[in-house]
Formats: sequence, C-alpha cells, structure tokens
Amino acid sequence: MKLSQKCLYLFMLISPYVAAEESLSNLDLDLDSLMAMDVQVTSAMKRTQSAFETASSIYVLTKEQITRSGVTSVPEALKMVPGLAVRQLDNNQWAISSRGVASRFSSKLLVMIDGQSLYTPEFAAVYWETLNVPLYDIERIEIIRGQGGLLWGSNATNGVINIITKNSIDTRGVHADVSSGSQLNIDTNLRYGSDIGNNGSFRVYGHAKDAQASDKGRRIAPADFSEQQSAGARFDFTPNDQWSGLIQADVTQSTLGQNYNGVVDSSNRNISFVGTVDRTDSRIMARLENRISPFANQMLQTSWLKQSGNQTHIQEKFESFDLDYQINFLYQDLQFDWGLNYRYNSISFAQSTFIQSGGGFDNLEQYGTLAQIQYNLLADKLDFIMGVKVDHNDLTGWESQPLAKLVWKPHNNQVVWLSASKSVMVPSLLLFNDKFIIDGLRVEEVSPITTGIAEIDQYYIRTYLNGNNDVKSEKSVSYEMGYRLSDATWALDLSLYHTDTDDVAVLEIDANVDQFIPVFAMLQAGQIDSALQTLTTTSINFDLVSNAQLTTEGGDIILTWQPFDSFSAELGYSYNTFKYDLVDNTFPAFGFDSTSRQLFTKADIHFLEQHNIFASLRVENSDAYGTENYTALDLTWNWTFHPNWSFAIMGKNLFAGSHLEYGNYGETYTRPNYIDETVTFKITAKF
Amino acid sequence: MLIISQSASAIEKEYALKAGFLFNFARYGEWNNHSNTATSFTLCSPDSSFINTSRTVLSGRKVNKLPIKNIEVILTESDLTLCDILFITADTLESWQQLNDKHLSDVMIVGETDNFIQQGGHIRFFLSGGKIRFEVSPDRLTLSGITMSSKVLRLGRVVND
Repeated sequence: MKLSQKCLYLFMLISPYVAAEESLSNLDLDLDSLMAMDVQVTSAMKRTQSAFETASSIYVLTKEQITRSGVTSVPEALKMVPGLAVRQLDNNQWAISSRGVASRFSSKLLVMIDGQSLYTPEFAAVYWETLNVPLYDIERIEIIRGQGGLLWGSNATNGVINIITKNSIDTRGVHADVSSGSQLNIDTNLRYGSDIGNNGSFRVYGHAKDAQASDKGRRIAPADFSEQQSAGARFDFTPNDQWSGLIQADVTQSTLGQNYNGVVDSSNRNISFVGTVDRTDSRIMARLENRISPFANQMLQTSWLKQSGNQTHIQEKFESFDLDYQINFLYQDLQFDWGLNYRYNSISFAQSTFIQSGGGFDNLEQYGTLAQIQYNLLADKLDFIMGVKVDHNDLTGWESQPLAKLVWKPHNNQVVWLSASKSVMVPSLLLFNDKFIIDGLRVEEVSPITTGIAEIDQYYIRTYLNGNNDVKSEKSVSYEMGYRLSDATWALDLSLYHTDTDDVAVLEIDANVDQFIPVFAMLQAGQIDSALQTLTTTSINFDLVSNAQLTTEGGDIILTWQPFDSFSAELGYSYNTFKYDLVDNTFPAFGFDSTSRQLFTKADIHFLEQHNIFASLRVENSDAYGTENYTALDLTWNWTFHPNWSFAIMGKNLFAGSHLEYGNYGETYTRPNYIDETVTFKITAKF
Repeated sequence: MLIISQSASAIEKEYALKAGFLFNFARYGEWNNHSNTATSFTLCSPDSSFINTSRTVLSGRKVNKLPIKNIEVILTESDLTLCDILFITADTLESWQQLNDKHLSDVMIVGETDNFIQQGGHIRFFLSGGKIRFEVSPDRLTLSGITMSSKVLRLGRVVND
C-alpha cells in the first residue's frame, strides 16, 4: 500500500477532490500529507483537480524533490521534468519550453509564481536569470505540458509552469544556508518567519549570490558571472475559516555578465561582445479567498510586476498590473468556474544601434472572461468538461480559446483522458513593432546572378528584420490523450499529443532584386569601386509574415516505482517532432524541423536515518539546438548530522563534461558558452 | 445517486482530514496516566456525521497497537472519561458550552470554532488558504496529563495563556 498512499498524496497536491467513498478510507494519514490537502472540493486558483484525474499532461515537482535534488534555482529544478526542453545557454541564461523548440527570446510557455504571470510583452519570454524564488519556501511546482490557454490566457500554448510557494504559517522559524563550489563563490539564504497574533503569520527572506563565469566559451571568452541580491516577504492572514488573504513581495537586483552578438559597423556582420546587464525585478501580489460554502468559493487577486534592465543593446522597462477574479462552485453533479481578468502593461523601450522600435505602443491592455463546466455523465466513471476563454488585446483584438475534454475512470486506479482545444499566442511587440539589424547576407546568396568578382559576390549587405502589424496571432488546435495507472508500488503516466498551428510567424526574404540593377550596370561599365560604393546603400529585409503552418506531435511516458518508503525511482521518456510547412521564400523565425528525444531516470534513496542520496540522469538527444547529444548526471548527498544542521554535496552535469546545450547561433544576440561539470557544498541550519 | 454522494463528500472531506489529524494527535501524544489495561483508543464526538466519517477514515488504524474506537457521545449524559480524545465540531459547540465542568483529566479536547482554547479546549483547527492548520496550548494539555510530541507542536501555532 505504500505507493498508492504516497501517490494519492502526490496526485492530490493539486487541489484534492475526493469523490468516491472508498477514497476516504484510503486517505494518506501522514501528517505532512494531511497538511498539504485542501479541504475544498473546488480550488480557488482556477479549476484544478487531483493531478491523477486532470485531463492534461501534468507533472508535479514536489518540495521533497526540489530540496533533496540540491538544485539551486527554479530553471535548474525544471531540468528534472520529463517533457520539458530545458537548455542552459551559459551560467545565467536559459531557453525553456515544452512540446517544441526552446528559445531564449520566444516562448509559448506561461510562467507564474502563485498565479502571478511573469510574461513580458516585448519578448514573449521569461527572464529566468533574474527570477528569484527561495527554493526552500516552494510548496510545489506544477507543470502542464500542452495547452493551458483556457484557464491561463493567451500565452500558454505549449504549457504552464506555476510555482507555488508555502503558506507562511508553514515557514515559521529560521532557515539559513550557505553554498560554495567550483563555479560558485557564495550563495547564501536567510529566512525568518513567525506568527502575527492568532490570525496571521509572515516570513521575510534575503538572498545573495556571487558566481563565476563559465570555463569555456565559443570564439569569445565567457563573461557570464553573476552578482545578485534579493529580498522578499509574505504575509498570510486568516481571520476566520471563511476568509483568508495573502500579500507577498519580492525584489531582485542583478548584475550579470554576458556574451552577445550584434551588428554595429559597416561590415554588416555580427560581432561578438562582452557586456553586463543590470536588472531590477520587483513583484507584489495580494490575494483574497473566500469560502462561501463547502461547495463554493471565490478569489480576487491583484498583482504588479516591474522589470527594468539596462544593457548595451537594450534599455527596457516593463510594468504590468493584473486583476483576476474567479468563482468556482459545485451544484449537484455540475462544477462551474467563471472568471474575469484585466491586465495593463506599461512599456518603455529605448532604441539602440541594434534595435529600433516602431513605436506606437507605450501601453497594452488586455481583458477577458472564462467559463468552464464539468459534468459528471456517469457516476464516478465519466466526466465531460467544456469551457471557453474570450479575451481582447490591443494587438489582435478579440480572441477565443475553447476546449472540450473527457475523463473516463474504467477502474478506481485508472484514468483515460481525451482533450481537444484551441489556443492562441498573441504576438509579442518584438514581432509586431520592432526592427533590428541582423547578421548580413552575401550578395551571392540573394542576387539572381553572380559577377565572378569576389569583392562583390561576397560583400555582406545590411539586413533588417522587420516586425510589422500584419503579424497575426498564432492559432493552435491540439488533440491530446492520456492514460494513468496507479498500483500498489508503481504508477504509470502516459500522454500523447498532436498540435496543428496556423498563422505561424516566419521570415520572408525581400531581396529587393531591383536594387542590384544599377550595381550590375556599373560593373558592365567597369566601375567596380562605384558598384561597391552603391552596395553599401542597399539593404535586404526579412519581414515577419504569418503564413506558415507548424505541426508538433509526440508523447511523454513516466513510470514511478516505490517499493519502500525509503526508496523511490522514476523513469521517463519524451518524444517530440517539430515540423514547419512553409510558403516559398520564407524560413522559420525560430527553431527548425527537428526531432527531440529525452530519457530521464531518478532515484531518491534514504538510508541510515540521516542520509539521503538523490540522483537524476538525463539523456538529451535532439537535432533542434545545433549541439551534440549529451548525458548528464546530477548527484546529491544530504547528511543531517544534527537535528538542526545538515550538509550536502551536489555534483552537477557529471559525465557530460564540458558541453554545449544550445547552438542556435541564428538567434539574434545569442552567444552561448559551454556548460561545465560542477561540485557545490552546502550547509543548512533550521531553527 | 451520484448527486448525493458527491455533495456529501464535499462536507465529508473536511471531517475526513480532521479525523486524520486527530489520528496523528493520538499517535504523537502521550497520556501520562493512561492505564495499561486499555483495550482500545477511544475517539469521541457528539457529532454523529463526524463519527461516521471518522469510522471510515480510521478503520483498521491502530494507536500504540490499540484499535481505534469511534464513539458518538452525548455531552450531558455520557461518561466522557472513557474518551481519550473528544472532538467538538461547530455543530455541537452549543452543548459543549452548556457543560459545567469542561476540565476532563486524561482527555484531549479538540475543537474547530473561534476561541475554543479560551473556552477550555486544548487544540483548535482552523483553515488557512483552504488547508487545515491547528493551534495548540501545551500548558493546558499538561494540566490534563497529556504531553504532545515536538513533531506536532512545531507544525501548529502554540498558544500560551
């Protein structure tokens, strides 16, 4: 019975929903498990059910996995998730996605902290390098692979990551840790939490990090050091059983070294640079939850996010304000969820040699509503779910994202789910509005005829990438299915998907052939110097056009085995194909036709009371990133040598040696470094 | 009949979890004057719906090798000294308040309503962010001859009189 109880607990983390009588007698009565369970059959933060019964490909990183694995940041923790593409560009930068090719500057993956979106409207991406969440205060990380558009909005085409932090009532006391290692000078954390009278609790925390640059770069010495300081606080109030509220705030100041590319002179070629980024990221959110009855609850959440960054090629400042209201209720065998949302973005973006903004947008507004019903067709056997989100944005107007799902439980420990949904990716301002100079193209690559004169044929013409307001939103239709089985000592989770995306933004080359006519005329007249001079005033445009189709398909399978309480293991395999259907004279704006395969194994072993070993091995086999395949082992040994003190040694990227995880140099500005094997030591104290 | 089973489970859920907590209080508590001849661990409540849920949830469970007995008691008539734990639900608070002598030696008294500890209880459940948490008065437990393990105390909010 060990695993079924443990699994039940794990699956129930996501807002448990105990419908069947027999489940009550099967409840995991471990104190930690009970404290993780929600009393409500409806969850205030959007509609979710037990993960076991969720009609999505869902994976939950538990707090135990996060702390025992010895990871030092959220993106590093995500490396443990089968089905997520997590590629480290250097010691600071990351490209993370699911069900597709990960890119640093474009992502259809929505990332949230306690439901607060970290989406930046300029680039549809997340600044992973400056995202600070104290790992020891994370309750769990929920990862949905595939569409989450209905519940979460217009940027969740490929998946949703929601980092859920602990209630401050569970983080009272002192936590302090210090780490140092082969590439880390120091990383230190301090948190203090306590009660506020009988109705509340709080925690305050601080973090400081000083890390070195990578050992080896490509063509240019690595500069990816980091200096980072963060501070934050969370307050929870519980005046009575019907109402609860929370406020949390966090500010992170980062100075990060980086290597990047840009075109700055008349060579029209990309030149590699070393620079630093100074960023300040602040966020604050407040949530009020009201339990109307055991069958209904409502939630109001408001948040504000401010991100400002200064680097040589971009000075940017974004602010976003969000307001969300949601009500969930259960009436007989019908569950109903309804929500309203409003977002205001303020955008300030300074032009530079590298990038010019088309202007016209210093703010963006978005508002919408969602509704979802779940109807129990056959008692405890078959559920039907239907919903739609309709919202309006300033760039593409009204968008709708409907879905339909079916959940069938042929047996108490088995679930089959089917899903069909449409989701929308609103273009980022970068695609819609901006113009930037990219690596130049040679005359012989674009001109219909070559001259045989090397100086001319191999001359690099200035090349622009132009966003424009004809770019449409990308529309994806996904068909998914899954099967879950939970047995006494093992569990299986399988999901398969096929997604067709229309109106995908790609690049159309406008070589403007006519501009070469005077050049050829001059050449015929023997005026080579004049011809060369004329070429310096020519340019080629890459225009973004929304006329491609993209098909992604694949699946994930995860097998969990727990023969004893003190040992658990996981085996996961993921497969993804990414294929464009392109119109002539266009090519992909990001990623290219590719196949990715991943194999994961994990083991968590507890022995001699005070010791724990956590091992995680991943085999990455993909032709999507211009890199070799690699196999990396992360191994962590934790030793609690005193009730209040513990020591850990973490070995990362073992076996993989110095390896490249990202080689898509076509991506503007990107200049990755080799990722090294590292060893880190850590001492933790808890009082 | 699904309609009834699902609606019922919404309420049962909270009681099921609370029964689970009581089970842990039993496991991690020490009844200093507990007789060695006891043949069961007795969980009492005047609330019949709670006792029904508790019977399902705790069926087959043992505390210190003793089987758990769930008993519905009548606060005015029953001999409450038979109980090891007494749980007063919101629905049965009134009859509890009418009880003259609320001090029961060797009985852990748990409630779920505001100010329950001030009204003579030892432990009180409350909800925070939809999850069950509890506050506890170790001093009052000691007065009743019960010691609670630090494993439980550190998870709860300690109330000092």
